[in-house]
Amino acid sequence: MSDTPIIRFENVTQQYEGAGNVLSNISFELERGKFYTLLGPSGCGKTTILRLIAGFITPTTGDIYIEGKKVNHLPANERQVNTVFQDYALFPHLNVFENVAFGLRIKKLKKAEIDRRVKEALEFVNLKGYENREIQEMSGGQRQRVAIARAIVNDPEVILLDEPLSALDLKLRTEMQYELRELQQRLGKTFIFVTHDQEEALAMSDEIFVMNAGEIQQSGTPIDIYDEPINRFVADFIGESNIVSGEMVADYRVRFANKEFDCVDAGLNPNEHVEIVIRPEDLEITTVADGKMAVTVDTQLFRGVHYEISTLDEAGNEWLVHSTKKAEVGSLIGLAFDPEAIHVMRLNESEDAFDARLEAYGEMANEK
Amino acid sequence: MKNNSRPLYMVPYYLWIVLFVIAPIVLIGYYSFLDLDGKFTLDNYQNYFSSVYLRLTLSSFWYAFLITFFSILIAYPTAYWLTKTKHKQLWLLLIIIPSWINLLLKTYAYIGIFGLYGPANKFLSMIGIGEQQILFTDFSFIFVSVYIFIPFMILPIFNSLDKLNPALIDASRDLGASSWMTFRKVVFPLAINGVKSGVQAVFIPALSLFVITRLIAGNKVITLGTAIEQQFLVTQNWGMGSTIAVFLILFMFIIMMATGQKDKGGAEHGKVK
Amino acid sequence: MGKLSKLGKVYLAAVFFILYAPIFYLIFYSFNSGGTMSSFDGFTLEHYAAVFNDTRLIIILMNTVIVALLSSLIATAIGVLGAIGIVFLRNRKMRNAMLSLNNILIVSPDVIIGASFLILFTMIGVKLGFASVLISHIAFSIPIVVIMVLPKLQEMSSNLIDAAADLGASKRDILTRVIIPYIKPGIFAGFFLALTYSLDDFAVTFFVTGNGFSTLSVEIYSMARAGITLTINALSALIFVVTLGLVVGYYFFNQRARTVGTGGQ
Repeated sequence: MSDTPIIRFENVTQQYEGAGNVLSNISFELERGKFYTLLGPSGCGKTTILRLIAGFITPTTGDIYIEGKKVNHLPANERQVNTVFQDYALFPHLNVFENVAFGLRIKKLKKAEIDRRVKEALEFVNLKGYENREIQEMSGGQRQRVAIARAIVNDPEVILLDEPLSALDLKLRTEMQYELRELQQRLGKTFIFVTHDQEEALAMSDEIFVMNAGEIQQSGTPIDIYDEPINRFVADFIGESNIVSGEMVADYRVRFANKEFDCVDAGLNPNEHVEIVIRPEDLEITTVADGKMAVTVDTQLFRGVHYEISTLDEAGNEWLVHSTKKAEVGSLIGLAFDPEAIHVMRLNESEDAFDARLEAYGEMANEK
Repeated sequence: MKNNSRPLYMVPYYLWIVLFVIAPIVLIGYYSFLDLDGKFTLDNYQNYFSSVYLRLTLSSFWYAFLITFFSILIAYPTAYWLTKTKHKQLWLLLIIIPSWINLLLKTYAYIGIFGLYGPANKFLSMIGIGEQQILFTDFSFIFVSVYIFIPFMILPIFNSLDKLNPALIDASRDLGASSWMTFRKVVFPLAINGVKSGVQAVFIPALSLFVITRLIAGNKVITLGTAIEQQFLVTQNWGMGSTIAVFLILFMFIIMMATGQKDKGGAEHGKVK
Repeated sequence: MGKLSKLGKVYLAAVFFILYAPIFYLIFYSFNSGGTMSSFDGFTLEHYAAVFNDTRLIIILMNTVIVALLSSLIATAIGVLGAIGIVFLRNRKMRNAMLSLNNILIVSPDVIIGASFLILFTMIGVKLGFASVLISHIAFSIPIVVIMVLPKLQEMSSNLIDAAADLGASKRDILTRVIIPYIKPGIFAGFFLALTYSLDDFAVTFFVTGNGFSTLSVEIYSMARAGITLTINALSALIFVVTLGLVVGYYFFNQRARTVGTGGQ
């Protein structure tokens, strides 16, 4: 039973009249009890996936399975799935208690049971004592909790969250990230969280699906995706990156910015054209003599935790550096970095080929 | 909500549209081609273009124009100053309340006020002009009509003036415009939709009302509405009545087109009989 | 924006005076023991007594109220369902066409409505009287209800319906537990407006009422055509008080509904 993925998409394509494909040929499996995030810019299709799972729309082609059962045409009200909406979609004519009790009343449960479960759910989201409040009297963060309570009270297998934190201010948003993560672990339910905020995704997820233009670009743990982005889009979308073009000289040897460097990537064709990613925090400022690369400081901004320094090398590439050390604008400095900091991306590589390659030189590295 | 359940709960509403929206218009059109014996004829249309009915149409338009004109003249300053009162919503409510009082009663009041021994004539003799026949004149008709219609003109103009962003006026003043220039170049063009809605709410009823003409103007003034009532209920010539009605509907559409607007004004609260 | 100038104050005062003077003039003379609206001879309540002692007038009053209540109730039911149907029409052109059809009776002059309904009732053989008046009032009230309910429906986020379905609600549940409660203020507004339109209507009723049946407006019209009777003044005063009560009551009801009912976004 627990081997069957809780949700499976098989070659799902979604089209709207007039518009092109909102989703093209999406396939994936989700395991029970994990926290998944669909991450991507607006219009990438992430919310469409959510609506397909919830049952508000049916796929144009392809199949959707929940717990191994095909549910393409099962209406939303018959699915064991509940949604926390972006604008919360709380019923303004009902108070907090009645909002949470809505699903239970539909199921015609006994009054005592409804009472007990609503109280439990509200306690779960730290809203004990707010039963008789009107929705209008609640703050944004409290409404958020009511919406979550309204979903979990029905004991669904899967909870869908559609950018639920986007309306909150920064401080509250960070707080809610902790709370949601902790809530998911306590409940042990599958959470599918949609966001365009990469920090949110990195902080909360067991697994992230990065999406763009109706396709899944890359999926993996936050660390995998951050450290080993598959292509320019993912590298750019997740965190800040320096992306320059270069070519492989040989295994473990790469050339960019008119210089050759040691790296940890192998298995590519000699002289293959590639893209190089180095994260700004992996670049360290030193003297020109000690650095692997000499750059000129162009601008500098103080960001609180670090300085954000924009530099230019002699080939004209821009290198962004995050450093706690200050630099002098216009001065020539050296940049130092480890071979591990260099991440090599092949152009147009599929996710499967990418994963295979990563595994392969993981092994090679072990043999050495 | 969709698909299978819609036909059932929508049945009464669709039935209403067919029976009471489409059918009446078709019937009016159909009857306009019938003579007194129920035979097909074009006489009604021929009649309409004869001098009697053309003159009637023209004079009805002229009266409606005058009524609309004076309504704007009085309503615009009222609306403008209302936006500057402290409790403007309350004052606005006070403007609207008289519009909820039955039209017949307000008209009836003027039978007394404009009567031979009424307060209007008392006032005239007091200032030395002497008693006049006010009732059953063009003047009394236009005066009472304007009285009845001004709330419907004030309301939309007030709404559009009130919606105006005050920063625009500050901006205009800041750029060197005088208050009169500001009004002419900024306020008036931006609030023109309110005037249009008001014209819609006043002009069409002014063409079609027959209560005021019957009670106040005697037989001195005949509007299109009066003529229709006359044909249907007095002469019992439904064919001719329908023909006039066809033209009234036509004029109504033309006026609505002319005063139409993309941004919907605020004339919805007005009620005109 | 500047403040209200002195000229403005005087002007507004004049407008208010002109608006209210005729109404108070009517009410004032309803207490006149003389029979005219020109000289006040002394205070009396006899005209009010005349209103309440006139059984015919009382019956007409009952007719008016019954027609108003029945027609606005039925129109509200049909109009609410119609508005919901229109909002959920998927085809935009179709939706706009329905809205245009809906609004025809609102913009049409009463003479046209009255005359065309008269032809309709004669053709399909409805006897002129209570039935024809009631049906007419239902007919011209339906679009008003639709117009009052539509904005509420349009302002309702479609997420609310998705949320209800998501929580297991069937189509019927969605209608009775979410949509109807949500648009309740609109429904009340529509009902109230339909009620006042019906109470206030003269022209349409005048066309479709037969000899045996009359409403207050039609009765006042025939009385007024005959000349001045202070019974009308007494009636006016009573109607004025009732109207004022309704409007003010509705205003406060609305204010309350507004503070409680919105803010959900």
